[in-house]
Amino acid sequence: MSTPGRRTFRQTLGRLRSRHILHAYLFIAPVILLFGLFRILPSVQTLLYSFFKVELIKGRFTFIGLDNFRDLLTDEIFQRATLNTMKYVVTIVPVSAILGLLLAVLFNAKFRCQEFFKAVYFSPMVTSTVAAAMVWWWMYNPQFGIFNVLLKLVGLPEQPWLMSSHTALTSVIIFSIWKTLGYNMIIYLAGLQAIPPQFYEAATIDGAGPVAQFFRITIPLLAPTTTFIVIYNSILAFQVFDQVFVLTGGGPANSTNVVVLDLYRQAFERYNFGYASAEAMVLFLFILGVTLLQYVYSKRYEVSY
Amino acid sequence: MSRPVLRSLATLNLYLLVGGVALLMILPFYWMIATAFMPAPDIIAFPPKWIPTRLTLEHFAVAFAKAPWQTYYWNSFVVAVASVGFSLLFGLFAGYAFAVYRFPLQGFFFFLILGTLMVPVQVTSVALYILLAKIGWVDTFLGILAPNFASAFGVFMLRQGIKQIPVDLIEAARIDGAGEVRIVLTIITPLIKTTLATVAMILFLGSWNDFLWPVIVINSSDLRTLPVGIALFKDPYGNINYGPLMAATLISTGPMLVAYVLSQKYMIKGIALTGLKG
Repeated sequence: MSTPGRRTFRQTLGRLRSRHILHAYLFIAPVILLFGLFRILPSVQTLLYSFFKVELIKGRFTFIGLDNFRDLLTDEIFQRATLNTMKYVVTIVPVSAILGLLLAVLFNAKFRCQEFFKAVYFSPMVTSTVAAAMVWWWMYNPQFGIFNVLLKLVGLPEQPWLMSSHTALTSVIIFSIWKTLGYNMIIYLAGLQAIPPQFYEAATIDGAGPVAQFFRITIPLLAPTTTFIVIYNSILAFQVFDQVFVLTGGGPANSTNVVVLDLYRQAFERYNFGYASAEAMVLFLFILGVTLLQYVYSKRYEVSY
Repeated sequence: MSRPVLRSLATLNLYLLVGGVALLMILPFYWMIATAFMPAPDIIAFPPKWIPTRLTLEHFAVAFAKAPWQTYYWNSFVVAVASVGFSLLFGLFAGYAFAVYRFPLQGFFFFLILGTLMVPVQVTSVALYILLAKIGWVDTFLGILAPNFASAFGVFMLRQGIKQIPVDLIEAARIDGAGEVRIVLTIITPLIKTTLATVAMILFLGSWNDFLWPVIVINSSDLRTLPVGIALFKDPYGNINYGPLMAATLISTGPMLVAYVLSQKYMIKGIALTGLKG
């Protein structure tokens, strides 16, 4: 017992630490339990059910191996939905990003009423997709909708918009660009404002014009922002549902059907829960793919910064 | 041309461009409001009536006669407040634990929580529905709330906020004899007010506008939230009446738009800096 005081101190510390571990588990318990039950368990079950034929009302779960996935390969409607989702993603992501960047460059200059305009551009983002899509559904009306009325007014040919399988997906994409543009603009604006002005000053002294500066300084230095915007928008675009549900219901002739809509129909209109789970797994693989891309790219930028 | 003339020409172009795009962005809002207050003949007039010949409330009367908007409001409100409340409460304690304590499996649990961001409700909806059917939560408020009782995004944001607080402050409170729960509620909470408000705003907005999960889990019309109500207000048999439809859309989006107009600077900053809800 040479250093009694020291030992008590260490004991107290140990007791404190074990009490903190207890606190830690108590504090995270609600989140872990709720997530375990309502998020993680269903994730695992989605994988499980994709190998089953699920008859919920009879309470019967029959193991059928890979049959659901085999059926997916010959399901023309699901293939159409997957293709449409891909078209949607590869169109909206670059278009919305490029437009957002151009707007951000405009807003990077100082001008009056800037905050007002920013708020206007951002306003679709806070509006419910369902309600906004309902307004667009009215504006897309071929006879009385404001778009065709305006086209008629200036003597341009009227468009069938949502009514034709040739233009419906494009019309949905136009709506979604309107909805997300303001967000991309704000994110790019933050990225632009983080670029040190010395880069531009040096380039000006070296005689580089504004176009050269944009392509040689702005775009390369915005690469991390662009990565974020592309990944974030892609993940959301793969999950597109609300606007399709309201604007077209997937029609005409499945020309706007998307993965989540088909999944919804299979599960909650036809009660093919096992089959819908297989579709959900396909959706998950898309999202996983994008997330892995993000991982690879963010690693790359960590090195360059 | 002289430099000042060139410069003012450039400024004019900038205003034309920014203003023109702004008109496109705002057109749907304007057309929704105008259609909602226009007398029926104005709605299908050619050329379009940008300013209604007179203002009428008849479409609102029809909209209210066809659907219980007060009920939808109440439902949206209850769901949003409950999900924000629980997410903040649970997120606060979990965020504190992850920020302040060192405990076994800490990394694993944190990864588990953030991992759920990768599996959105679009993927899990089928299995979650089957689970809720077993415990009798389908077509109840609890069913709508089930995946939204806690928020991974909330836990993450609050942990980041709490990490900014100096450890000495917490140590000092412990020496003064404050228990851990009291430290969280009376010392941490006031210090991360801004983070709490931002997280609350984003979660509220997410819940208020959420559509897919409520439309899946709700069958009875008196439990519908606003987005579900508005989506099912559109007559599936093509009996289209745009006046009442726009009145209904305005009823359901109006308060959020007013809130946005009043606090847009703060909302834009909050959403842009943190991303929309996960």
